[in-house]
Amino acid sequence: MEGNIKLLLPVVMPVAAGIVVLLYPGFRQVRKSLLTMVLGTLALETVLVGLALAGEESLRLWQLTDAAALILGVDGVSRLFAVLTVGVWLLVGVYSTAYMEHEQEEYRFFGFYLIVLGVLLGLDFSGNLITMYVFYELMTLTSLPLVLHERTKEAVAAGLKYLFYSVAGAFLALFGIFLLLQICGNQTFTPGGVLTGMLGAGVASTEGAVTDSLVWGKEGLFLTAVFCILVGFGAKAGMFPLHGWLPTAHPVAPAPASAVLSGVITKSGVLAVLRVVYFVVGPEVLRGTWVQQVWILLTLLTVFMGSMLAYKEPLLKKRLAYSTVSQVSYVLFGLSMLQPQAFVGALSHVVFHSLIKNALFLCAGAVIVMTGKTQVKDMRGLGRRMPVLLGCYTVVSLALVGIPPASGFISKWYLACGALASGTGVWAWLGPVVLLMSALLTAGYLLPLTIQGFFPGADWDKEMLKLHAGQVSQELHWEAAAEDRKKAEPSVWMLAPILVLTAGALLFGCFPGALIRMLETIGAGVL
Amino acid sequence: MREILLAVPVLLPIVGGAGMLVLHLKDGRENKDRSLMLLTEGFVLLNSLVIFWLLRYRMGSHLVLFRLFGNLTVRFKLDPMGGVFAGLIAFLWPLAVLYSFEYMKHERRKKMFFAYYVMTYGVTAGIALAGNLVTMYLCYEMLTLVTFPLVLFPMTREAKRASRRYLYYSIGGAAFAFIGLVFVLSFSATGNTDFVPGGVLNLKEAKAWRNILLLVYVLAFFGFGVKAALFPLHGWLPQAAVAPTPVTALLHAVAVVKSGAFAILRFTYFSYGTEFLEGSWAQWGVMAVTLITILFGSTMAVREIHWKRRLAYSTVSNLSYILFGATMMSSLGLAAALSHLVIHAFMKICSFFCAGAVMHQTGKTQVYELDGLGRSMPVTFGCLTVASFSLMGIPLFGGFISKWNLVQAAFACNKNWLPCAGVAVILYSALMTGIYMLTVLVRAYFPRPEEERVVTDLEKKYKDPGGMMLMPLVIFAVVILFWGLHSSSLMRLLTEIGGEAG
Repeated sequence: MEGNIKLLLPVVMPVAAGIVVLLYPGFRQVRKSLLTMVLGTLALETVLVGLALAGEESLRLWQLTDAAALILGVDGVSRLFAVLTVGVWLLVGVYSTAYMEHEQEEYRFFGFYLIVLGVLLGLDFSGNLITMYVFYELMTLTSLPLVLHERTKEAVAAGLKYLFYSVAGAFLALFGIFLLLQICGNQTFTPGGVLTGMLGAGVASTEGAVTDSLVWGKEGLFLTAVFCILVGFGAKAGMFPLHGWLPTAHPVAPAPASAVLSGVITKSGVLAVLRVVYFVVGPEVLRGTWVQQVWILLTLLTVFMGSMLAYKEPLLKKRLAYSTVSQVSYVLFGLSMLQPQAFVGALSHVVFHSLIKNALFLCAGAVIVMTGKTQVKDMRGLGRRMPVLLGCYTVVSLALVGIPPASGFISKWYLACGALASGTGVWAWLGPVVLLMSALLTAGYLLPLTIQGFFPGADWDKEMLKLHAGQVSQELHWEAAAEDRKKAEPSVWMLAPILVLTAGALLFGCFPGALIRMLETIGAGVL
Repeated sequence: MREILLAVPVLLPIVGGAGMLVLHLKDGRENKDRSLMLLTEGFVLLNSLVIFWLLRYRMGSHLVLFRLFGNLTVRFKLDPMGGVFAGLIAFLWPLAVLYSFEYMKHERRKKMFFAYYVMTYGVTAGIALAGNLVTMYLCYEMLTLVTFPLVLFPMTREAKRASRRYLYYSIGGAAFAFIGLVFVLSFSATGNTDFVPGGVLNLKEAKAWRNILLLVYVLAFFGFGVKAALFPLHGWLPQAAVAPTPVTALLHAVAVVKSGAFAILRFTYFSYGTEFLEGSWAQWGVMAVTLITILFGSTMAVREIHWKRRLAYSTVSNLSYILFGATMMSSLGLAAALSHLVIHAFMKICSFFCAGAVMHQTGKTQVYELDGLGRSMPVTFGCLTVASFSLMGIPLFGGFISKWNLVQAAFACNKNWLPCAGVAVILYSALMTGIYMLTVLVRAYFPRPEEERVVTDLEKKYKDPGGMMLMPLVIFAVVILFWGLHSSSLMRLLTEIGGEAG
């Protein structure tokens, strides 16, 4: 073990705390101590991550086998993902303290919630492909209890589906990793890829072909390996054809779990793809190959399909899940362009979509807690009871659609500009067209809730009366109708995280400079 | 004549076990049980200590016990590869016996059970320490005979049928193996069948008979492969899951089946030699069969709902991982095969012991009956979780290491596309392993809320078994984690063995 041990602390500490929460029976009985423990751990974790991110250090843990070492390291990408993860985890953690009150076995949820946080930071800090794979598998296994928390038949079935898709994807990726290891040997993350550094050693570089001396003569195998990894890790990011788990698993999980699943865990699929393409294989090697072409096709297909399915989905949380399928593929599309501007767009969309989708799922959860309603059509008139909540929902929806000055506009702008400048032939213009169509669909599936919520129409009061027609007396009719119109915002514990996320989604759109500059630095390093 | 010690680990349990059969203990039931237990554990522990002592101080020694006639001698030799197998069983056997005592507490005919259980130890040690093909063949036949009563033990109709099938399969397989023995003897460069790293075939002479010899190799591979549950000769193994758990766990996941795999490794790398076999149709043929077995075994395990049979199918597929490594005919392949032989032993015996603990405490044998048991038997299912993740090949657990080695070896063996396809097969099988092991865990840990009431009743009623059953489980789980985190010392040893013989 050599290097700075402080990198290990943010990984180990939450896992240890989570195990204590799971095993120590005291936390099952006294709710207050459980919540203190959880919030304390999250706060401490924020500090630890801050400390770990201070410098560009690395830590070599030990040799798993002779060819595979476990390495942790910090660079721009891990910084971005780690800050995002911890920030979201803290906010959703605060929200959960209120939300999980009406669920059973809170200690199990919070225990695994903390463990997953540690594992995710391990994933963010991974310094080579094997380390990342280790944490990737552990992430799947430890996040499973969050998905099937409610233990109903559907929840367990959805959890298993999530498990099998993820594991199948991971093994497909592992196959690629094995092949890649055989061809390249070294798999330490290097900006720009381990191969391109050796370019020129062998054959002269020509446009659009794998030209590395190491790969020479094995292009077919090499590209197959990369493709397997892309599709395999793409499973977590909900990329077609392994997206099937996402719309099943997200709606059945408790709202905070679906929020972090959609907002953060799908992004770890993105992180894995990003690391492989930009830090191991190298964008130059991949440019113009069939792998890039098929990859672009798959992402655009997913973007379009996800939006269409979301549009016709009546269940709010499932609609949001389909929206995630489509939005995460925006990010993958940006990565697949292998172009600096698109890269910036992709990474900024990681941040923005994470904030937005978390806020949306938390809103959906708050509605469930307060009214028990899950179908979009039942949420008519919601704005009268919960104006603040629905206001937040509206703002982040607009941000996701990409209305300036909210944040989604920035990322989409960069994505579209990057695509147009990428020189990928037909994709260069087809991509932006699909993105625009999908933005239209996004407005189509998110905004009806706002419209119906704030403007239920003149006949709404009468409808409410009809609804309560079974009541005994006229007086009661009115009482019930008034009940439905009374303001009933969720508690501040739930509202505050949503407000913070909304503010983030809005402010990043107004003042994107610092973030964009940071992403441009990362992009310049790898492209 | 100090080398006579080499025969002790073989003869002591056989003689001791036979003695136990005729021994008459007449005190009261309680006392009888206790003295039986002390006697058995004493024999086994003593024998393990002798093996460890030999491994430490007598590596490389050999002993000719007696001469059958001519070149046929019964010869024992302690070389590193035999040492790995001997050390493995010497570690597992005392723990398995400890487990068996609590498990078999309420059974009748315990004396017979333990007598044969001890005898099997000696015979398996004989296979590990055999110095030539004749001795190994002898022990191999004896292994069938001494384990036959153990499969038969429950004496139900099912058990009778299973044991009969086991007997026919094994004896039939041994006959094929015998053909291999005869041919090795007649083409041997040294005039006998002693195991030599790199094989003993007289290559010049063998060349003229190349195809016949390759055919004989394939026959012998299938012959020894019966015990290693090679498709289509695997049928006896899932059926033999009717035997008591100590038998299915130790014998049908480690001792007996691994003897088959070990015999194939010996036969391939120390009798025929890889130089003769490498690149031949025989190599690709048997490799294809091992891959089919992996596919078949893991798929059947998903379909099976009887828990122990499911694990037995998992054994079928995992044994072929070892054989897949063996058929690579390279030093890396041998090292990878041995690493899976060792690590799989721990994870499978751990899973079987968990299944046995559940059967013993609750009487439940089907997967769908396990709802909520993870809460009432936390230690048992904790160990099962470790074993399951390891079987799946999740990194940081032992199983990942051996799979990693197998894959590395497969890619290094690049004369054909088959090893590459083998990697895909292994990963498919890993996915299936995920399905058949994790569905059990999810059931056990996350019962449906409507069954909550039932589950709380369960929690009162069922609990973890006693210390004698738990201790082996926990030790195995710890060993699995240990291999997962630190495997370099083991791999260095195995690579050395591979380097010599490959």
